[in-house]
Amino acid sequence: MKGIKKGAFLLAIFTLILSVALAGCGGNGNNSSGGDENQAAGGNAEISSNTADTGNAGGSGEKATITVWHAMTELTGEAMDAVVKAFEEKYPNIKVNSVYIAQQGEGKNEKLLAAIAGGNAPDVAYFDRFEVATWAAQGSLTDISGYAEASGVNADNFYPFAWEEANYEGKLYAMPTTTDARLVYYNKDHFKAAGLDPENPPSTIQELEEAAGKLTIKDGKRFKQIGFIPWYNQGWFYGWGWSFGGEFMDVEGNVTANDPKNVEALTWIANYAKKYNIEDIASFTDSQGTTTMDPFFTGQLSMQVSGPWTVPQAEKFNPDLNYGVFPMPTPTGDNYTTWSGGWATVMPKGSKNPEAAWEFMKFFSGEEGQEIFSKISGDFSINDRVNEKLGYKEHPIFKEFIKVLPVSHARPVMTQGSLYWNELANAVDLATRGEDPKALLDKVNENVTKALNQ
Amino acid sequence: MLEKKAAPMPPATQIRAKNSKKLRDDALYGWLFASPWVIGLLVFFAVPLISSLYFSFTTYSILQPGEFVGFRNYAELMSDSVFWKSFSNTIYFVVFFVPLSIFFGVALAMLLNMNVRGMSIYRTIFFLPTLVPAVAMAVLWMWLLNPGFGLVNGMLDVIGIQGPAWLGSETWSKPSLILMSLWGIGQSVVIYLAGLNDISQDYYEAGDIDGASWFHKMKSITLPLLTPVIFFNLVMGIIGAFQQFTLPYTMTGGRGTPADSMKFYVMYLYDNGFKFFKMGYASAMAWILFIIVMALTALIFYNSKKWVHYQGE
Amino acid sequence: MTAKTSKNMKKYVVQIFLLIASVFFLAPFIWMVSTSLKTLDQVYTFPPEWIPSPFVWQNYVDAMDYIPFFTYLKNTVLITGFSTLGVVLTCPLVAYSIAKLNWKGRDSIFFITIAVMMIPGQVTMIPLFLLFEKLNWIGTALPLVIPAFFGVPFYIFLLRQFFLGLPNELKDAARIDGAGEFRTYWQIMLPLAKSAVLSVGLFQFMAAWTDFMGPLLYLTEPGSYTLSLGLQQFQSQKGTQWGLMMAVSTMMTLPIILLFFFLQKTFIQGITFSGIKG
Repeated sequence: MKGIKKGAFLLAIFTLILSVALAGCGGNGNNSSGGDENQAAGGNAEISSNTADTGNAGGSGEKATITVWHAMTELTGEAMDAVVKAFEEKYPNIKVNSVYIAQQGEGKNEKLLAAIAGGNAPDVAYFDRFEVATWAAQGSLTDISGYAEASGVNADNFYPFAWEEANYEGKLYAMPTTTDARLVYYNKDHFKAAGLDPENPPSTIQELEEAAGKLTIKDGKRFKQIGFIPWYNQGWFYGWGWSFGGEFMDVEGNVTANDPKNVEALTWIANYAKKYNIEDIASFTDSQGTTTMDPFFTGQLSMQVSGPWTVPQAEKFNPDLNYGVFPMPTPTGDNYTTWSGGWATVMPKGSKNPEAAWEFMKFFSGEEGQEIFSKISGDFSINDRVNEKLGYKEHPIFKEFIKVLPVSHARPVMTQGSLYWNELANAVDLATRGEDPKALLDKVNENVTKALNQ
Repeated sequence: MLEKKAAPMPPATQIRAKNSKKLRDDALYGWLFASPWVIGLLVFFAVPLISSLYFSFTTYSILQPGEFVGFRNYAELMSDSVFWKSFSNTIYFVVFFVPLSIFFGVALAMLLNMNVRGMSIYRTIFFLPTLVPAVAMAVLWMWLLNPGFGLVNGMLDVIGIQGPAWLGSETWSKPSLILMSLWGIGQSVVIYLAGLNDISQDYYEAGDIDGASWFHKMKSITLPLLTPVIFFNLVMGIIGAFQQFTLPYTMTGGRGTPADSMKFYVMYLYDNGFKFFKMGYASAMAWILFIIVMALTALIFYNSKKWVHYQGE
Repeated sequence: MTAKTSKNMKKYVVQIFLLIASVFFLAPFIWMVSTSLKTLDQVYTFPPEWIPSPFVWQNYVDAMDYIPFFTYLKNTVLITGFSTLGVVLTCPLVAYSIAKLNWKGRDSIFFITIAVMMIPGQVTMIPLFLLFEKLNWIGTALPLVIPAFFGVPFYIFLLRQFFLGLPNELKDAARIDGAGEFRTYWQIMLPLAKSAVLSVGLFQFMAAWTDFMGPLLYLTEPGSYTLSLGLQQFQSQKGTQWGLMMAVSTMMTLPIILLFFFLQKTFIQGITFSGIKG
């Protein structure tokens, strides 16, 4: 025991000495945090970085270089390269250094986070629009309202939800680039086999449930074919809540997770899980964390909520699949809606060349950049005219998506977006496991509200 | 306690006498040889660790320094139901995984230490799973454990058992994870093998002369002399199991489904720190974990005198 | 005679057991290699097949084209090589000092060594990054290499356990023969811990070779990226190029397999050293 005590004592002393050392370091850090380590070689960091700053601001004749971070590979990577190339041709005095940054999963952004914390962020970052409000509230993104105003960029060029998501507390922090939406995909051959009309898919929740029942083929405890799993794939709760007429945030910014309509939606999901026995359904859902074996393509699942990217995937993995899409059903069979996410460019705090960075962001989200990007990547543009120009409005599946985009929702723009998302996902998971929907949503409301107020 | 542990066999008083006699010789070289690490501790460990301790008393968000809030993060954690859920999941994992990994690790190492043809190849094979990237492992397991079409339930079907939903079942998700983690014991097997190697053949020869059976030799020679390494794997196993992260995070897309049964301590810590921008809260979690693991480790160290034997002492 | 047959019997039993267990332990690896030779269509067939048809060797060629494979390989080799060297030089020396030399503060240092491993890396990651930022090391490989030369707690603890198992008589004998402290360590004690030092070298090699978070945070120019960063490039928002990704994974594991195969031979040779002891 004596050894422990002695060790602990020494540890305490060690801690004390180092905290003093640390405090010293912190002090230094604050003094030089404006300095640019990349350009300042040697001791006179502050002086040389100051001159560099003025050089950039006034130097229109000199060639400016901006660094852009993104995590795009394959087709989207090519699309990005094409945008950069077109931009550099149009703006010969700006050079874009486009850097691929590996991302190990959605929302994992340690690198950008560390870079901003370290005061050495890129000029522009390709960014999930969903996180704009949170990062803006943390003071880590540059307010670009002024640039936008000066360049005449405003809400008219974007779908309403995309513009809404790029703004936080009345200021613009991001330039939207791409978007998506959620609809229900259905297997027309399954419909025929089950005696349903493949050209007349369900439009109300009631019809959806009936169709799902007819499409489900069970063999003992195991499903041979499942008609529909509401929460599977892109069946996130936001979609169902809005389709049931619920709201997730009121105009004053209060959380309304337990809106009676939302409770109704979650109750429907919970009953659905009960009806089909959750542990049996779980064999489909939870063991399929990746897209390796999408049961919709293999014909095990007749209907699923998914996004536009399912179209090229279907072409690749099951070109013979005879399918269509319909809007997420509502209790009344009208007022269809959905929700959309997507990407944007942001200017992290500490951008060394904000003017040039803005030019690039503007170009990327402008019609010219959008056309190039959307054409190569296959992602929808946030500009309706570009989508029309690229023929998305004639495509048998895509046109249904484009049709719904003008009334689509963005997830609530708030500082606790990720928490809200996780809480709702958890609530659905627990509701399907038999917990009370109302109590769960009350709890979500309480937790998110509490976090917002902190 | 630790200094006694270093030389457990002779009575403590004797050691102390011996120590003080030697102290003069070794102080210089002791510090000298250890100096790189002492510097390393001061430079690369002290600052980050103490920063995180400080952050645990603030609302630090990585992007903003936040404000000092005293013990508020700690107090809030006590009433955070997800925290407790992740805590109990983690305890479950530690309690089952650590003993199992030691049992299978030692058993496998003993088998792999026998003089059987093709042993080099066998050793390599048992090490292989540790080399396969986590994503590939996750995909493979999801298929093997797929309730409807997976190999595991297929085999259970043959012997007339209807297998559970494994990763989709609240009851079976953690056992599945333990099973998967056991696949990666190759690294501790290597350590046991190295330990077995260091056991002097003289002991076995003496045993042979006495006509001891294989079982008897294992019980009275191999196992006791392997205890320093078992001790190491026990301590590191506990430290590692409490920090279980990558596999469940990859498999559940960070969500810890079903019904939070796969939400582990560090997964929740990560979400707080990097997704909800509550690095102060996450740091408080880290230091609570520190206290728990430290207490456990101290207990093991204290207890180790009774069962860890160092050869040649 | 009977003793011999029973011994042979035992060998057969062990042999059969190992063979069966091998099937399970080989599965992930075979899965990886098999996926590396599949077309994307075949990767997605369900239920999955073990044998690719056709064998797409082209995946390997395509994968090396898709990312700058040899640049990444060179970077990975350099970082791995130096950090392994650092670990192998420092950790045994420190461990020896903690295990076999008597000095005041030794137990406290050991205690702290274990303690620092108990804080999850997730909370020290950002402060450590800021520290390297202060040192102006971001954008270079220094954060991935230099700390290894100052010791890694896991390895120090492991090696300490091994040194503690070595008899003091050897050390004392060397001293009586007039060998200096460093020579006693280098010529007598270190060779005796050879199998443990080699294991530590192997572990560090593996850790550095497959490290993702370190290179992600500290390297900023694509020209200095490592293979594990390259591996992520096969994943995009629109899906994963499993065939190509597994081709690179397979190529990445081959050096470690070879290294291990030859290292474990020295484990067996190690038995001759044990003979000296006692």
